[in-house]
Amino acid sequence: MYRQGDVLIVPLAEHAVPESAHDAVSEPRDGRGRFVLALGEVTGHAHAVVGPGRLIREAGVFGPMLLHVPEGARVVHEEHAAISLPKGWYRVVRQREYVPGSVRIVAD
Amino acid sequence: MTEETNWRAVAAATGTGERAGAEAGVRLAYRRAGLDEPEMIVWARSPLEAVRLLSGDVPEGVTTPLPTGASVRDALRNRPLAAARERLHSGLGPAGWSGHWRATGENLWETTRPLVDRVRTGVVEALAPSDREEETRIRLLLLDAVLGQHDAAWLYALDTDTDADADTASDAGSGLDALAEVARTAGWWWPYENVAVLTERPTELHRDEAGRLDRGDGPALAYADGFALHAWRGLPVPAEFLDRLGALTPEQIRQEENAELRRVMLEFYGYERYLEESGAKPVDRDETGVLWRIELSGDEDVVMVEVVNSTPEPDGTSRTYWLRVPPTTRTAREGVAWTFGLDAEVYEPLKQT
Repeated sequence: MYRQGDVLIVPLAEHAVPESAHDAVSEPRDGRGRFVLALGEVTGHAHAVVGPGRLIREAGVFGPMLLHVPEGARVVHEEHAAISLPKGWYRVVRQREYVPGSVRIVAD
Repeated sequence: MTEETNWRAVAAATGTGERAGAEAGVRLAYRRAGLDEPEMIVWARSPLEAVRLLSGDVPEGVTTPLPTGASVRDALRNRPLAAARERLHSGLGPAGWSGHWRATGENLWETTRPLVDRVRTGVVEALAPSDREEETRIRLLLLDAVLGQHDAAWLYALDTDTDADADTASDAGSGLDALAEVARTAGWWWPYENVAVLTERPTELHRDEAGRLDRGDGPALAYADGFALHAWRGLPVPAEFLDRLGALTPEQIRQEENAELRRVMLEFYGYERYLEESGAKPVDRDETGVLWRIELSGDEDVVMVEVVNSTPEPDGTSRTYWLRVPPTTRTAREGVAWTFGLDAEVYEPLKQT
């Protein structure tokens, strides 16, 4: 399990990968060829994955998302140190905050 | 810049745009829809001022209320958008279309839609604070608006360039190119048979990293005529409320009866400072962080985890931040795990940056 700021990347065992994910369409890469896990609206800073693979959004704008990196990858961000991910499947979770009656997404 | 960056910039643009460009776009939109150009184009400084004009307030230099005629929004905006969506939908299939929408406009629309709703609500509150009949009339007027820059998500998804390339000279194109031209230079606009009312973009827009309206020391959204909306991390607050924040005391926070406003007061004042001044002791402490609790009379307790950012700031210090967690939380680990939707036992980051 890896954490970069407000994004948590949790390894997923092969058998725990949902059947539907195997042929699901990947999210597009950004203009620099990366998968954006979370984008800061004001700074434009992004938690982004560099390397071959697929990013699959399960439901909703804030995920969770599934990430498949068959050859491993790097997670980068303008203000955080990079993280190397071993090859495999991951679930990507955005940090949330409790608000009475609901939750809201954290944006660092 | 990528196309996405461009459209995001369109949606968030502030300041006076180039009026001639916007007016040319409006005229083109009428022609694209097979209509005569409007006899008159009138500018307003905000959606509020536009609604006032359309409600009979006489603009400068005009002697009688605007002879608008019927709304032509459907012909100018809805039909071209629906047709473009239909073309994509039939080309890509239902799954392909939804994938395309996710890859293009969806994220942008998620942050633009609440903004649009806030502006509508702000106009209604300014003009009809307690008159239901008047409120309905204003809401209907607001629905006649084309959203200009706030239509960016749709224009991005529906690819406004294709028909301009295919049929530049003709006036019978889809009309999306005209809508895009207005979007790049103006805010909301109202197309009627004889008159088009255009509004300037806001003069100020302040949002947090999640795209929510957010400002502690002034309006989060403001227009040149003074129409303004105040918000703290997306939560609407009265303007007078922000004025009081500067001189806040823990006692005033405790006495605030509105739970949402009290939450804003606490965040603004700073959890750390509040805890310090009220002599609070941590509830729990472990390697994930520190758990704190503030008891509030007549409301659920505020329980927070204090977490240190693992990547140091450029000056070598480490930023501490506070996240509110459910009041049932008992340990710091349980609290931090909750913020990622996990149970305390399984939360074990191998590496944190």
